[in-house]
Amino acid sequence: MFEKAIMSENHVSSSVEDLIEDGKNAKTVHCMHCPSKILSPKNGSYQKIEFLLPEPRQKKDLGEHNEDLKEELLSDFWVVEDMYRFENMGFSHSVGSVKYLACADCEIGPIGLYRTDTKCSYVAIARVKHS
Amino acid sequence: MAKTYDYLFKLLLIGDSGVGKTCVLFRFSEDAFNTTFISTIGIDFKIRTIELDGKKIKLQIWDTAGQERFRTITTAYYRGAMGIMLVYDVTNEKSFENIKNWIRNIEENAAADVFKERGEQLAIEYGIKFMETSAKASINVEEAFFTLARDIKTKMEKKLEASNPGTKGGYQLKATETQRKPTSWLSRCSLL
Repeated sequence: MFEKAIMSENHVSSSVEDLIEDGKNAKTVHCMHCPSKILSPKNGSYQKIEFLLPEPRQKKDLGEHNEDLKEELLSDFWVVEDMYRFENMGFSHSVGSVKYLACADCEIGPIGLYRTDTKCSYVAIARVKHS
Repeated sequence: MAKTYDYLFKLLLIGDSGVGKTCVLFRFSEDAFNTTFISTIGIDFKIRTIELDGKKIKLQIWDTAGQERFRTITTAYYRGAMGIMLVYDVTNEKSFENIKNWIRNIEENAAADVFKERGEQLAIEYGIKFMETSAKASINVEEAFFTLARDIKTKMEKKLEASNPGTKGGYQLKATETQRKPTSWLSRCSLL
């Protein structure tokens, strides 16, 4: 049972498949929490890649070595190679070679990450809305 | 891939700490999400897309959070800046008095970089624009950025017009905006 669940996660789920057209986002990407428009159609390329993203809400005290940091493994992303393709997006200060992405309006996040080495942004499909 | 915008403007938010620059940094949404993770790390910059006269303009807006003392803001920070928004708190007189220190800092650090290429001296008397904003009530915050973007766009189009006098473009702005002074403008974030 457990294995089966893992298996299905390794495939593009049908709900995600509906969002892709020619390998790109078919719909407009919005914030989940507020009406902010994040990405226009066809500006992000779908990529199955795994990133551990911290959860938006965390305990105030994460412990001395952040041992209480809650993270979620996500594997469906829109890759945006040029940050100016975003309609609206917030970029956090750098943490190592990563900047976390947050809604430019309500600042919910991380909704993805930006790699300072490759300058590519990865928007977690599970953390945004499509319409 | 072709560009998806007409202009890209880099804007800076400058002012004392605690005057609400972060609230000016486009928190249009009424229901700001209090995410402990993001607020702990802090926002470095935001990308915003606005439309002016049918042109798509990308704004990259930088906040100075964490380095708000004059001396810590140096040339590197101003590099490439096309517009600067000076922010003070209407309830904090010191933050208003410090505006002139910020202007001096801009003169010292940004002047060489931002204005040298145009062969202009940074004017001491600023053609400063003033807008009272309230991010909490969403008053004027959006308008403030539109005005700044409009000024930069007008300047760019004037340049184009000057090199190509036959064409008529742009639009007439207020008298203060037609002066050949650096675009600078004072915004205050009223935290009521």
